Amino acid sequence: MTAFTLYNYVLSGNCYKIRLMAGILDVKYDTVAVDFYPGFEHRQNHMLALNPAGTLPVMTIGEQVLTDTQAMLAWIALNHDPSGTWYPAADPMLGPLVQQWLAFSGRLTNSAGLAGLHSMLNWPIDGEAARRAAIKDLRELELHLTDRVFEGKTWLVGDHPTIADIACFPYVALSPDAGLDHDGYPAIRNWLYAVRSLPGFVTMPGIHHLHELREGADG
Amino acid sequence: MTTRPVGLTRDLPAGRVMHAQADGKDMVVWRATDGTIAAWDNRCPHRGMALSHGFVRGNRLACLYHGWHYDRSGRCGLIPAHPDLEPPATIHATQYGVVETGGVIWVSADEAPAPDDSDLAPLRSFIVEASEDALRDAQEATSADGAPPAPEASDRVSVLCNPIEPGRTQVTVLTAPGLPLPRLRTLSRWCEAMRRQAEAKETA
Ligand SMILES: N[C@@H](CCC(=O)N[C@@H](CS)C(=O)NCC(=O)O)C(=O)O
Ligand code: FES
Repeated sequence: MTAFTLYNYVLSGNCYKIRLMAGILDVKYDTVAVDFYPGFEHRQNHMLALNPAGTLPVMTIGEQVLTDTQAMLAWIALNHDPSGTWYPAADPMLGPLVQQWLAFSGRLTNSAGLAGLHSMLNWPIDGEAARRAAIKDLRELELHLTDRVFEGKTWLVGDHPTIADIACFPYVALSPDAGLDHDGYPAIRNWLYAVRSLPGFVTMPGIHHLHELREGADG
Repeated sequence: MTTRPVGLTRDLPAGRVMHAQADGKDMVVWRATDGTIAAWDNRCPHRGMALSHGFVRGNRLACLYHGWHYDRSGRCGLIPAHPDLEPPATIHATQYGVVETGGVIWVSADEAPAPDDSDLAPLRSFIVEASEDALRDAQEATSADGAPPAPEASDRVSVLCNPIEPGRTQVTVLTAPGLPLPRLRTLSRWCEAMRRQAEAKETA
């Protein structure tokens, strides 16, 4: 029995969030490959019937459909994380803070994510405007993560990694491919490294395993 | 070449690699598992891959491309495609000087003297898309009124600049040691204000 079905596009950072969370929590699921590019299948009638917004990913749990990536992360954590730490929804402070960084991750989709689509797939948008917005977002994240360094903390919220870390990870990790290098962002670099070190971490094109953690390493 | 600050000790833990720039040179700075640090020209002696994309294996830096390993002296110690071959001593990464004082990593192309050890503590390292001059003006302008988040005399703020290309400056900010958490947060926001001001001026 699989837990859900993911309508998936391998190069999508939002789809990757779901694969990453499922990998870390060892949740088995089915995938349906959607030809996002060059086919634009997500904008065809059969996909719009499932998700009128015409975005990926889409997740189905039996008859139930989820169309927002952050809601899907919440579903996976609430249903498949016995520790309860990945989504501390009921905690009066951590819960709202997780919400805040989930919302921030939506902004990243529209800044760094769009900048990536522009530079890799030549998406018909103002690439410079997307990059400017992405720099603003990266600086906001760096400021917060620097606060966390002052506190001796690793993750966006609280003492454990949460779905907020997963939601913010992909487009930040991929941003050098959109011409946004990480040279001026030491706190971001160390946070990305911490996410990539998580047990169960899975990869996507452009985000690979840490070589130094691979088994059989010599030297 | 002068000695330039390229990052903070706390931001480069053991086993990690970073890219740095100073005086027009592209560098890889990495820390071995035993904690020792090295700064090299950012080109793999094999085919020129940026070594800053590499990874640390024990006390060697491995290139991401074909996996050649270099020990701390820069000498190639392993060629994975020919594991039994003793790599010739001529295969060598180009080394730069690197020292750490007061929690700051300093590099130089020659044997330039290390900066004096200060009792200040590192706050942040970041990049400003503006010249050093614009940054110095912005430092003054955003400090002048003394209203939060501006620094106070007791913060003993010191701003170090590493001009990395025209209109792009790496900035390291130091403060008095042992400041309380709310003060660190405030001064970190002052860094943002200074950067905004410097960049607004640069594009004006
Ligand atoms: N609010 C949605 C946005 C997801 C999103 O923007 N996905 C991108 C792919 S990563 C997409 O489907 N874009 C549609 C398009 O640009 O045609 C969510 O977070 O799930
Ligand atoms: S380029 Fe570095 S090992 Fe080949």
